[in-house]
Amino acid sequence: MDIGFDFKYSVMWESVPMLLTGVKLTILITVFGLLIGFALGALSGLLKISRNLLLRKIAGVYIESIRGTPIMVQVMFIYFGLPLALGMRIPPMVAGIAAIAVNSGAYIAEIVRGAFQSIERGQTEAGRSIGLTHFQTMYYIIWPQAFRRMIPPLGNQFIISLKDTSLLVVVGVGELTRTGQEIIASNFRAFEVWLTVAIMYLIMTLSLSRVLNYIEKKMDINV
Amino acid sequence: MIQIQHLYKSFGNLEVLRDINLEITQGEVTVIMGPSGSGKSTLLRCINLLENITSGTVIVDGHDLKDKNTNINFIRTEAGMVFQQFNLFPHMTALGNVTLGPLKVRKLAKSEADRLGRDILTKVGLADKADVYPDHLSGGQKQRVAIARSLALRPKVMLFDEPTSALDPELVGEVLEVMKQLGREGMTMVVVTHEMGFAREVADRVIFMDEGVIIEENTPEEIFQNPRNERTQNFLRKVI
Repeated sequence: MDIGFDFKYSVMWESVPMLLTGVKLTILITVFGLLIGFALGALSGLLKISRNLLLRKIAGVYIESIRGTPIMVQVMFIYFGLPLALGMRIPPMVAGIAAIAVNSGAYIAEIVRGAFQSIERGQTEAGRSIGLTHFQTMYYIIWPQAFRRMIPPLGNQFIISLKDTSLLVVVGVGELTRTGQEIIASNFRAFEVWLTVAIMYLIMTLSLSRVLNYIEKKMDINV
Repeated sequence: MIQIQHLYKSFGNLEVLRDINLEITQGEVTVIMGPSGSGKSTLLRCINLLENITSGTVIVDGHDLKDKNTNINFIRTEAGMVFQQFNLFPHMTALGNVTLGPLKVRKLAKSEADRLGRDILTKVGLADKADVYPDHLSGGQKQRVAIARSLALRPKVMLFDEPTSALDPELVGEVLEVMKQLGREGMTMVVVTHEMGFAREVADRVIFMDEGVIIEENTPEEIFQNPRNERTQNFLRKVI
């Protein structure tokens, strides 16, 4: 039975060069978004376990408000909402990176907090008992152990954030998904193009998990 | 070496130490015994300020722990602590564990700290385990590394909090042996333990605690053979 659908490999191949420009932007946004997100998350995670109630509250409000709202709303708020309040346009790339950073930061904060709190109290006590200061104990004893425990959940978050960049189509950033849409607008080959787009995302996420597995194995020898 | 006067310690409404008075002289080996929850670990932890003192005075080597000018980190290097659960740093080798204090607190050069570390590991019988990570050590070996880690700071007092309670029976001996040797060398030691043999052989004095109070103290011979207090008698009957 003819359903009037003829699959064309050639469409896939032809779309690759243009899609690769989208891939470049996707990677760029992911890398910068996650770098800032990690700094933001590490900071808020540590604030969340600080002894200062106010700092804990500040971190708590940030984490809860980001985790409790859809990333799509966050993206639109940053790109369409914030400029009205600030009285200046925010370039789509900047808005995109900011959205990924702020969003991943909230989840990374919880990963950091969890990892720190999972280190037994005895480790801190042992550190203090040999005369290390609080800061030295954190730096030499708690942080290296906590960091190892963060790697698997961090990897998970990195992959989620990478895929979340596809939501940036709504603000017109020419990343991979947006590029796919544009190609389809001109050739109407939705099946082949979306399939190619999906494969490209898959290649990126699989490579990322490979790298993370490698790091995890390398660091896990002794713990 | 250690003077404790009218020491009280509460966790919230729970009073765990009540009016503890104790004097420990240099070179003395003191064993603290008592049922669980009697406050013996808490007493030990007050001596190097792992627990805050609620009221009373604790003086370690002439330094009043409540005095604002007392450097707590310094006191902690003077009073080495050995924990029931070892608390070795799992991401460092045995030598790394032992040299961390000398490097970061005593500010020794790496080569000097390494030499010191290896010497002390040799002393506890683990010269060949210097480069091994804690995960690959037995419980007894871990506890000996933990003792070495404290000794590396050249403390004036060693505090042991049930150092053999987490060990398999056949591994207890090697740890006690190291402790006995320390005692014989004149180290001032305060040991929370139920090891009667150790107390008999090394202790100058045994203190029996119950419900946050010191209820009896005496030489090991006296306290084991003629316990005066009824609670001491009950406890010893159960332990022996």
